[in-house]
Amino acid sequence: MSAAAAPVPARSSALRRLVSGYGQELIILAAIVALMIVVGLYNPRFMSQSNLTSIFAGNAYIAVAAIGMSMVIISGNIDVAVGSLIGVLAVLSGTLAVGGYPIWVAWAAPVVVGILVNAGVGALVAYARIPSIVVTLGMLSILKGGLISVTAGAWITGLPEGYAIAQARLFGVPAPVWFMVVLTIAAAWWMRNSGFGRTIYAIGGNPEAARASGIRIERSIVAVFAIHGFFVGIAAVLFATQLQVIQSTVPPNLELTVITASVVGGVSILGGTGTVIGSTLAAILFAAIGSSLIFLNVSAYWLRAVQGLLILATVLADMARRHRIR
Amino acid sequence: MLKKTLAFALGLGLMSGAAYAQSAWTGGDDLPTNPLACDGTPAAVASKPYDGGSPTNAPDRKGKPLNVVDVPKLIGIGYFNATSKGIADAAAELGNVTAKTDGPTQANIDQQISFIDNYITSGVDGILFAANDPVAIAPVLKKALAAGINVVGYDANSQPDARQWFVNQAEFNGIAKAMIDSLAKESGEDASFAIVTSTFTTPNQARWIAEMGAYAAKCHPNLKWLETVEAQEDNVLSFNQATTLINKYGDELKGILGMTSVATPASAEAVTQAGKCGSIAVVGLATPNAMKPYVEKDCVKSVVLWNPVDLGYAAMYVLRAVADGTLEPGATSVKAGKLGELQVINGSEILLGAPFVFTKENIGNFDF
Repeated sequence: MSAAAAPVPARSSALRRLVSGYGQELIILAAIVALMIVVGLYNPRFMSQSNLTSIFAGNAYIAVAAIGMSMVIISGNIDVAVGSLIGVLAVLSGTLAVGGYPIWVAWAAPVVVGILVNAGVGALVAYARIPSIVVTLGMLSILKGGLISVTAGAWITGLPEGYAIAQARLFGVPAPVWFMVVLTIAAAWWMRNSGFGRTIYAIGGNPEAARASGIRIERSIVAVFAIHGFFVGIAAVLFATQLQVIQSTVPPNLELTVITASVVGGVSILGGTGTVIGSTLAAILFAAIGSSLIFLNVSAYWLRAVQGLLILATVLADMARRHRIR
Repeated sequence: MLKKTLAFALGLGLMSGAAYAQSAWTGGDDLPTNPLACDGTPAAVASKPYDGGSPTNAPDRKGKPLNVVDVPKLIGIGYFNATSKGIADAAAELGNVTAKTDGPTQANIDQQISFIDNYITSGVDGILFAANDPVAIAPVLKKALAAGINVVGYDANSQPDARQWFVNQAEFNGIAKAMIDSLAKESGEDASFAIVTSTFTTPNQARWIAEMGAYAAKCHPNLKWLETVEAQEDNVLSFNQATTLINKYGDELKGILGMTSVATPASAEAVTQAGKCGSIAVVGLATPNAMKPYVEKDCVKSVVLWNPVDLGYAAMYVLRAVADGTLEPGATSVKAGKLGELQVINGSEILLGAPFVFTKENIGNFDF
């Protein structure tokens, strides 16, 4: 902070700022590039356009959900019900589409319902002061159980023409990739430059200081969860429209994948730091690892192990960094 | 630190990859296999003494009208509507049977027990069932036997001594033969193929894969198994795994075997979206409704399962034969109308026969 610490050449300081500001993001990006080179050399088909498309497009919904999740975690909360909510909203969307409603209704309803449900979760967290992990654990059971009772496990088939937005392409790039890229950039810019974006960091970093500086924490938490619901709704639509059928069960372990993407992407599990660029890159990294395991003839079970290792490594690194700062 | 971890994980992955490459047909289990004859001759049956139950003081029902109730796991779904239709068809054909289907609207064992209990009280001659739980259903079925009622199961078994006979829809080696024969027919005797399964540890899938490996080695030795990937029971993961297989092997891949009713339609979708319909055959276990879009578009030619209408039909004939006394403990076969002579296996089970292959010609007749 003092002037004495300043005598560094300007160019190197810009680089250093980039590295210190986006250190985790750069590491993940390097890991993605390294992985693609290694596996691409092992089997050139890994780098084929069709495989890159399936890595990016097939997993974009995870990155989109991780944007909202990152905001929730940065605000000092967590949502373990995200996978169940995506499953429920996907079934809602498919049911409306099959039921003859206009397609835009089937696309918009999950987003609206996602916002409402998560605003409710946020209200319970903020005003009833129940820890978010407890509220969302309860939500997880309600959604999972409710979905099975309502649908009895029957799949949704016979989806109307034009519903499959995730299979659409714009300039040759699949729609899910557009959603992922545009939403990530927009959210990252907004988090950095808007007043509310900085509020999210403030309430996660130091709630007491945030309150002292006049931030209305309760309202902000409800808003963060509601925004998260918006991203979950979009993720659910992408998830629902990927195939010709919608499975009416909750996708297994999806919440774990989404949370892992946020945390490995550099969002501190203790709140207050991280970016949505990191979580999107981490989601791409997992997708690339998942695909490379098949190319390297490795059991998919290793993906879980690798995810676990990465999450441990990142959290340890995060704690070490905080320790050093103190 | 992160890079080191990643390098370590990748290294581990590469090592285990090499280890996997040496084993045969990953995803199968280590239990002994019993591949069927290539030409479809029924397997020799290891004789096992009758282990079913028998009704107490059952009246002589030979040739007399029977009042039969069918209590499936649940009613109102396509699958059990189909078994119910088979039962009604057989009853109409036999002429001396009144059969009705009644049961819970959810697959709930407690409700199923009270349905059976009520029908015991109201007095029926025979009960057909598909158990929601093999153990929990046993006491009420034994109560029916003790009341002199003939009891025959189908689709989902109970403990053997709680019923007289059970109509078994398919044995592992039968499914395996149908899958591999269909694959060889569609993609050629020397095709390379991959398997999409749920997980390597799911018992049914592991058994089928082991039996398929044994049958392929015996009857289609030039088929080349590439690898097995896991996709749990997850639609989107199944699709991604199948797509990655297509990307990995390119034109080398000629067939995909789907081992679950989730993996098979997702694999068909992957082949469709990759524009490989016709050059990659998808053969798999699945229900007809999930596969109709792909079968109608000629992307999938064979869906292997059993015919639930035949299953109900066979169960009804077995119950009639038991009531008539023509099917007794120790019998080796039983006549089942248009299905012909069905084989007795495992002591007190009747094998429905070879699995049913749904094709473009017949899939429209099924709704489940």
